[in-house]
Amino acid sequence: MFEIVRVVGQTAAVGPAPLVAASGDRVPVLPALRPVVPGGGLRRGSAVGVAGPGAGSLGLALIAGVSAHGGWCAAVGLPELGVRASVGMGADPGRLLLVDEPGTRWADVVAALAEAVDLILLAPPERPPASVVRRLGALSRKHGCVLTVTGPATAFWETTALRLRITESRWSGLGDGHGHLRGRRAHVVAEGRGAAGPGHDGWLWLPGPDGTVSTAEAPQPEHRRPTLEVVA
Amino acid sequence: MSARTLVVWCPDWPATAVGIDAATPGVVVAERQVVACTAAARAEGVRRGQRIRDAQRRCPRLVVRDRDEDAEGRLFEPVVAAVAALTPKVEVVRPGLCAVPARGAARFYGGEEALRVLVQDAVVEAGHDCGTGIADGLFAAELAARADGGRVVPPGGSAAFLAPYPVSVLDRPELTDLLARLGIRTLGEFAALPSGHVAGRFGADGSLAHRLARGEEPRPVAPAPAGADLTVELAFDPPAAQAEEVVFAAKRLAAELHDGLAARGLTCVRLAVEVAFADGSAVERLWRHDGELSALAVAERVRWQLSALPEGGTSHDAVWGGVVSLTLSPDQLVPDTGRQHALWGRAAVTDRIARAADRVQALLGHHGITRPVLTGGRGPGERVVKVPVGDLPPERRGDGPWPGRIPDPAPSIVPTEMQSAVVTDAEGALVSVTARCAVSAPPAYLTVGGGSPRKVVGWTGPWPAVERWWDPERARRTARFQVVTSDGQAYLLAVENGRWHVEAVYD
Repeated sequence: MFEIVRVVGQTAAVGPAPLVAASGDRVPVLPALRPVVPGGGLRRGSAVGVAGPGAGSLGLALIAGVSAHGGWCAAVGLPELGVRASVGMGADPGRLLLVDEPGTRWADVVAALAEAVDLILLAPPERPPASVVRRLGALSRKHGCVLTVTGPATAFWETTALRLRITESRWSGLGDGHGHLRGRRAHVVAEGRGAAGPGHDGWLWLPGPDGTVSTAEAPQPEHRRPTLEVVA
Repeated sequence: MSARTLVVWCPDWPATAVGIDAATPGVVVAERQVVACTAAARAEGVRRGQRIRDAQRRCPRLVVRDRDEDAEGRLFEPVVAAVAALTPKVEVVRPGLCAVPARGAARFYGGEEALRVLVQDAVVEAGHDCGTGIADGLFAAELAARADGGRVVPPGGSAAFLAPYPVSVLDRPELTDLLARLGIRTLGEFAALPSGHVAGRFGADGSLAHRLARGEEPRPVAPAPAGADLTVELAFDPPAAQAEEVVFAAKRLAAELHDGLAARGLTCVRLAVEVAFADGSAVERLWRHDGELSALAVAERVRWQLSALPEGGTSHDAVWGGVVSLTLSPDQLVPDTGRQHALWGRAAVTDRIARAADRVQALLGHHGITRPVLTGGRGPGERVVKVPVGDLPPERRGDGPWPGRIPDPAPSIVPTEMQSAVVTDAEGALVSVTARCAVSAPPAYLTVGGGSPRKVVGWTGPWPAVERWWDPERARRTARFQVVTSDGQAYLLAVENGRWHVEAVYD
C-alpha cells in the first residue's frame, strides 16, 4: 500500500543552501521574493528602502532570506522588531544582532557592523545628513553589505537603488468575533533605479498561515465564504 | 562555657559597599525591598523590609541602589586585612561582620578593652566606621559590637547582658511571633524557660535559639583564609596624555592580572576595565573574557574604550585632561578548567562578528548589542529574550503548553512600550470585557494614539490571560483581541483594567 503525499511549498527552503549562494554579488532573498526582487537577490553594497504599510514584514522577510542562507544580519534602531515573525519566515535568531538604542551614535554603529554582517536593517532616528548617507553608502559598497533603510527617514536616503513596498493587502482568517488571523495576501512592488525592466511585482502570502512567505494567487474580487444559516 | 569572641561590625555595610555615604539618606534594595539603609535614612523613618515605594514616601530624596553582593565581599577585604594585621584567624561571618577568637590576643595586647579599642581604631583607620564588641560567643559579641560603638561583656556575663534584648534579635520571625503571643518578650524571659520543654515545644531550631538566648554558643568560631582581591591597578603620575601610553601600560597590567589568576587556577568570565580621568570622571566597561583574552587583546579593548569617548578633546590624541588611573578587575571568578572548541555544531560567533560586536559595545556599553533567544510565553513580547553579545543565554526551559498563547503567524512589530488605544462600538461607547469574558458590544471603531478613528472590519476575542496571580506585584489580568481595520491594518489589542493598548501590529 502506498500513500500519495503531496508536497506543498518550496522544498528548497528546508535546508540552508550552501554558502556559495551568499558569497556571490547578490545577497539571497526568500524563494518567494525572487520573482519580485530584480536579479533574484539584493545587490551587494546597495541600499534598499522599505517604507509604507507592511514595511515591518518586508524588512523581516529580507532578514529571513539572508539568515536562512547562512548569512548574518543586524537590526539597528528597531527595538520593536518582531523576532518571532522573522523566525517564522525562516530566519535563524542565532545569526541576528540587535542594536535597539543606538542614540546619536547610530552612524558609527552601522559603520562597525557593515564590516561584518551581510544585511543591516536600519531605522535612522532622525533625518540623516547627506554626508552621513554618502559615507555609509561608501562603507557598505566597500564591504558588500546591504543597507536596508526603513522608517520615516527612508525618503531622505538618496542612494536607495531599490524600494520595496506593499500596494495592496488583505488579511484572512478573521470573522466577526471568531477565527484568528491566518495570513495576509500582499501585492509587493519593487521600484527604483535597480528595478529597471519589466514589472517586478507579485502577490505573496506575507505571512502565510504557518508564518512563512510563499507565492499567492491574486485574490478574487468578490470571494466570500457562504454564510451559515439556521435551517432547523 | 563559650570562647571569648571579638566581633567587628560595620554598620549598614550593603549601603557602604555601593558607595552611599552614611550622612546621605539612601537605601539598598533587592527584590523591591529595602535590605539596608543609612543612618540618615533611618532617622527619616526608613526601615529594613520596607518596599521602595514606602521608603520613598517617608523620605522623597532617598538614594536607591541595587544590592551588589560582589562589591560587599570585595570591599570588606580591607577591613579583614586591617583586623588580620593585629590578630590572625579572622572569620568573615558575612560581609560587614567578622569575628576573631579574643583570648590570646587580649592577653598579648594587655586586656580585652585595650584589644577592642585597638581593633576599632585599626578599622576606622582603614576608612570604615565600625563597632567592636567582646563577649562569650558570637551572638552576644555581635550585639555587644552594635551597642553604641561597642563594649566588653565580662566573662560569664553574656546571659545577663542579653536578658533585656527583645526576642526579635534572634532573627527568627515565626518564633518571635509565637513567643510574643505566649507573653515572652525578652531574651531573659525566654532563657528562663526549662530547656527540655523548649526542645519539646519548639524543636531543634527553637532549642538552638534557646541556647543563644542563654549566652551559650551553638558553634565555635571557624576562621577561613579570605580570598585575595585580584584587581590590578596602575596610577599615572603625571596623568597620561596620550592614548598610546595608556594602552601600553594596559598590556603590562593585563599580564600581571593573568599571572595572578593563573597562580590560583582561576579564570574570569568578564573583565571590568575602568579608566579614570584627571577631571574626576571615569569610564567603566565590562568585557567578555572567558580566559580567552590575551594581554594584547585586553590592551586592544582599552584602546577601543578610549577611542569610543565622545569627541570634545582639544587634539586628536589628548584624552580629556589625561588618564590618572587604569583598573582591571576580574568579574565572576571560576575555576579554570580549560576550553574545548566545538568542531561542528551550532553557529558560533565568528571572529568578524565578535570584533564588530566588541566595537559596538565600546560605543554603547555591554548591553548595547544583543542577540535574540527564543523562550516560551503567551504575549508576543514575552517570547523573545535579548541577551547581550558575549553573555551566556539563559537556561532553555521546555516550551510549556502556554494556554492562551497568540496563534501563529507572529506579529511583525512588537512595541516595547504599549501604545494606548480606544475601541468603541457602533454607538460610540467604549467596549468593555466583563469578568466572565463577555464583550459589551462588537468593536466598531479603533483609534490608535492620537489618530482618527478607523472602522473595524474583522475582529476576534476576547482571549483571556490571567498571569502570575500568585505575585501581587506582577499579577496581570488581561484579554486580547485581534482586529483588522478598514485600511487593511491588523492589530493585536489588549484590554487591562478597562484600558486598551496596542500590544503588537501585524504590519
